[in-house]
Amino acid sequence: MPTWSELQASFTRALLQDDAAVAGAVLGDGLEPEARIALYRHHVFTTLTAVLKAAYPVVCRLVDGRFFAYAADCYIRQHPPAGPCLFEYGASFARFLATFPACCDLVYLPDVAWLEWAIHAAWYAEDAVPLDCECLRGIAPDDLARLTFTYDPSVSYVSSPWPIDRIWHTNQPDADPGETVCLEAGAVDLEVRRLDNEVTWRSLARGTFAFRATLAEHRPLAEAFDAALTADPAFDLTTALPELFAEGLVVAVGPAR
Amino acid sequence: MITTAGRSTILGAARAGVGLRSPHIAEVMRTRPAVPWFEVHAENYMSGGPTVRVLEQIRQDYPISIHGVGLSLGSADGLDARHLTRLKRLVERLEPVLVSEHLAWSIANGAYLNHLLPLVYTEETFEIVCRNVEHAQTVLGRRILVENPASYLRFAGSSIPEPEFLTAVVRRTGCGLLCDVNNIYVTSQNFDHNPVIYLEGLPVDVVGEMHLAGHTINDADGQPMLIDDHGAPVSQAVWELFTLAIARFGPVPTLIEWDTNIPAFAVLVAEASKADRLLATSRRGTTDADVE
Repeated sequence: MPTWSELQASFTRALLQDDAAVAGAVLGDGLEPEARIALYRHHVFTTLTAVLKAAYPVVCRLVDGRFFAYAADCYIRQHPPAGPCLFEYGASFARFLATFPACCDLVYLPDVAWLEWAIHAAWYAEDAVPLDCECLRGIAPDDLARLTFTYDPSVSYVSSPWPIDRIWHTNQPDADPGETVCLEAGAVDLEVRRLDNEVTWRSLARGTFAFRATLAEHRPLAEAFDAALTADPAFDLTTALPELFAEGLVVAVGPAR
Repeated sequence: MITTAGRSTILGAARAGVGLRSPHIAEVMRTRPAVPWFEVHAENYMSGGPTVRVLEQIRQDYPISIHGVGLSLGSADGLDARHLTRLKRLVERLEPVLVSEHLAWSIANGAYLNHLLPLVYTEETFEIVCRNVEHAQTVLGRRILVENPASYLRFAGSSIPEPEFLTAVVRRTGCGLLCDVNNIYVTSQNFDHNPVIYLEGLPVDVVGEMHLAGHTINDADGQPMLIDDHGAPVSQAVWELFTLAIARFGPVPTLIEWDTNIPAFAVLVAEASKADRLLATSRRGTTDADVE
């Protein structure tokens, strides 16, 4: 007789990979054991598909419900949830879509999914108290250059060569159905965050985006400044740095690692 | 701080509460209905942001029971330390009157399968479940209630009847029982057992809460299969079993659960009122409660 650990592993394979081995350990009670296992599998897949649909409504609308269910099925099998909080499930769906052959023609789809996840994650992010710019007072310039910043957990930066902001807007339930998006409309650099119990996002100038997105990766201030200057030679650090604090983005400041 | 008052309201008078679900939260905030207590699923409130802040506001006016669905007390690998820590934080934040989980598993090999999956009932799993319950109670610093599952399959290797298994877990760990009356009915029907015998197999002194919910009846190759989908009114058969459960366990806090096809809030309140009448009848010492 298998150990419980082995039986659990085998049951997991039965649910996620249709592996038939566990059926031998299940009583039929008047049915095929597989029919009983299928009841559990059906629940797992329908509820997880619903979770993904709720997090990715625009992706679902862009590909239609049946294709979405097919993509979700493949995703769930390859990337089952790692934990019981289902508001965290689906973080890697954009990356999955980027390599999913069946939708490789929809070049903008993974970036739309990325934006939707940023919006979703912002809603559920932990609360944090922003720092005031005063916390930088008295820090020597050399030390300042090496500083790293921790942002409000709801903040994320999304960039795309496609107009994903317009795609998102035109695929909202209340959007004008006659509106179209020109895919050649150009790249976007977006900042997504939760503010006053609402998730908001906006387009940033290239230099500002490079500056903030670099800091978001916990890279030092000097490096973020370089990235910003590369994106926009006119980038002004003396304005950009206080703005981070004025907008309540920074919740912790630390030395470079 | 209303912990003491809340505790006496729910545990002393044994009223029927309602499962709080997101479609009803705005109405609850706006109307502050006369519901004695609410139960929430722990995993829906382990985030930051507005979701949990709204619940904290509701908590100021109502006792809350926290019902976990993802701790996986049956996992051979032990409990997920991160998840248990998050549950502890939520318990500290909300100071619930009750904390409950399931005799089930959902985590194996690092994957979470979002279902209350069945256990094989053996000496081995008894030790595993007891270890996990004790671990949870130690970390949370309080007794938890463990709920009997609704099942659609049985393992050939099971050697201990489910009520006996639950009773032994209670005796070993000091946990309480959450008697889900609908689950007893669903499981009994699915395996052609007598639900009254199941009920009589549970110890009388440890049931801290009961659950009531609706189920659907599916056709599985020509034989009925009851699915515990919490998507319908409580069935007549379950009301009758509930009456027997009250007679056996006394009037304990009882919850109306409704998770799919969620109706208007008033429908849940009406179901809770019906449960309340049966609980009140029992408190008055009448045994032949009238089930409509």
